[in-house]
Amino acid sequence: MNEIWNIAIDRAVNNNVPRVRSILESYPYINDARKKLRQGKTEVIKDISKYVELTMESVKRNGGNAYFATDAKEVREIVDKIVGDNQRIVMGKSMVAYECGVRDHLIERGKDVWETDLGEFLIQLSNEPPSHIIAPAIHMTKEQASKVVRKVNPDSKAQSHEEIAVEARKFLREKFINAQVGITGANAIAADTGSVLLIENEGNIRMTTILPEKHIAIAGVEKILPTLEHAFLEVMVQSAYAGLYPPTYVNLTSGPSSTGDIEMKRVSPAHGPKEFNLILVDNGRIEVSKDPTIWESLLCIRCGRCHFHCPVYRVLGSTWGDPPFTGPMGAMWSYVSYKNATPSTYCVHSGGCREVCPMDINIPKVLEKLKSLSQK
Amino acid sequence: MLYIVSLMDKSLKEALMKVMMSDFTPFPLDKSICTGWATNEPRGGRTILYTGCMYQVVPLSAIFDRFIPILSKNRLFYASLLNLAKKFHPDKPALDRSYKILRSISSLLKKNGINFGYMYDDEPYSGAFLLELGMLSDFERYATLVREKFKQQGVKRIITIDPHSHNALSRYSEFITFDIDVVNYMELLREVGIGKKGDFVIHDSCLYSRFLNKREVYRELLKKAGVSFKEDYMVTSKENSLCCGGPLSPIDERVSKRIGEYRANQLKKVSEKVIVQCPFCYVNLSPYVEAYDIAEVIDSE
Repeated sequence: MNEIWNIAIDRAVNNNVPRVRSILESYPYINDARKKLRQGKTEVIKDISKYVELTMESVKRNGGNAYFATDAKEVREIVDKIVGDNQRIVMGKSMVAYECGVRDHLIERGKDVWETDLGEFLIQLSNEPPSHIIAPAIHMTKEQASKVVRKVNPDSKAQSHEEIAVEARKFLREKFINAQVGITGANAIAADTGSVLLIENEGNIRMTTILPEKHIAIAGVEKILPTLEHAFLEVMVQSAYAGLYPPTYVNLTSGPSSTGDIEMKRVSPAHGPKEFNLILVDNGRIEVSKDPTIWESLLCIRCGRCHFHCPVYRVLGSTWGDPPFTGPMGAMWSYVSYKNATPSTYCVHSGGCREVCPMDINIPKVLEKLKSLSQK
Repeated sequence: MLYIVSLMDKSLKEALMKVMMSDFTPFPLDKSICTGWATNEPRGGRTILYTGCMYQVVPLSAIFDRFIPILSKNRLFYASLLNLAKKFHPDKPALDRSYKILRSISSLLKKNGINFGYMYDDEPYSGAFLLELGMLSDFERYATLVREKFKQQGVKRIITIDPHSHNALSRYSEFITFDIDVVNYMELLREVGIGKKGDFVIHDSCLYSRFLNKREVYRELLKKAGVSFKEDYMVTSKENSLCCGGPLSPIDERVSKRIGEYRANQLKKVSEKVIVQCPFCYVNLSPYVEAYDIAEVIDSE
């Protein structure tokens, strides 16, 4: 495992780190965007309940359904209610859905559930936990991935990155077309308009949010931003710091599909889903928002950059933290969501995470506090 | 994953704290190891050169880290086992090297016209590892005692020589009222000696580089001494350079060493000759690369 991990992480770092540097140099406005974004996120975190209420009102105003879930169990119950008797479900990489055990739960209930993000698809097939917040199969080399895709096509000869991607595309096409429910996360939610923004490059999220009759977006309450303007900033900053700028697709969803083409009367549905559901998840976040040090962990926009600048993650990979939360952000979030402070004890206060964090989260300081909690 | 920190249970931590608060050493230790380097340093004074016994104990710390799991399995014998630790002595060559570095730092400061004393047996450990292990209330408790020790000796200014002590002492004021000036020796050097020949790469101390804003201070000293060193964005930049793994040693020695080896392999791609500024970085990297302390490089005679 160590040897394969070392190869995989070194390839990822050498591909990603220079690319992020070049993006930040080429698009200097990202630097202003991230500062404004931090302000917006801070505003929400300091008054989460108010913003949850505003967001839910906005979603309902758009004709969608909005739910608030205090813990993972409630999330699964709400999902059950929405899914009902529908059988065929596609998912678009939601780490909160993973946190709340949604996929396994639906499979246990006999549903046909497929992850459609390539990385997440690979780890579903190999039955492994995600090892990085935006690149869940980062621990897998292309050689391993080519073996894994043979699980859905035993005759597959796919070897290269491109061929493996094509193999997944062939298999998942049919799943998209026939899916009745699409489940995604959210990169940002605008409280003022009730819009959910999702960034992606594969096109899988666009299909997951458009093709099935029902769309469920599951997101932590910290993803709420005061305005749609902030939400767009989030999309820009997250994708730039993830090294994927400009993102190939940005999906904005404000309620179910609709049309106003007949006599300008707006009716729903049109071609897209007839039902839009947003589940806002607490699962430990609101409690953490009140801590004078640990609250900063909620500023995380899940760009996954801190991982690459952390010596502990570079050596330990997904074994450090509670999946899907690995790396420096994962050591914080293992506490936020699972109340496990122990991963913080492995922090060597190298400080690279703080240097590169777009939200200027003082990660070593948060982890120092968690280390102290781990001893109580 | 098994988090080995659980091995260091509460009663062991309490036993170690007790020793620290009575002896003012990071772990049970023969104090002559700390003071052996100093022969002609004036005792005490308003300005002191502060070693924190870091360079001196580093060759011992690995032994002690391995001792913790043994201690944890023999809870009934904490007291006698901790006393036994006072009999440990580092390898002579390793200790001699540390002493040479300390003497070199002292001599450099004197050449720069800096007057200072040394507290010898009275020099208290900074409590750095309490802070770094997140034992924050213990750190606060201990810092109060250290402050008293400095006050009793009339200390007004502390010259630190390693990043861990500098960081811990600089952070006292976050926990207690602390008005003693803390300065690092490298900041006081206007003149340096003759630089060591060769092409080097810098392994930055995480604390100096990313927490204490000293990154350019030692780069300037190296330039002044005419030392040749190469930079590489992926290896030595502020955001990309990585830790040597040292701070993890008391928690998980195996992972600590893996990080050390990983870091050494990165550095080797730039140069085999590595400059460190911290005794712990030296210990963790020297099995894999040719490591030198900065004091050995900026005053090579």
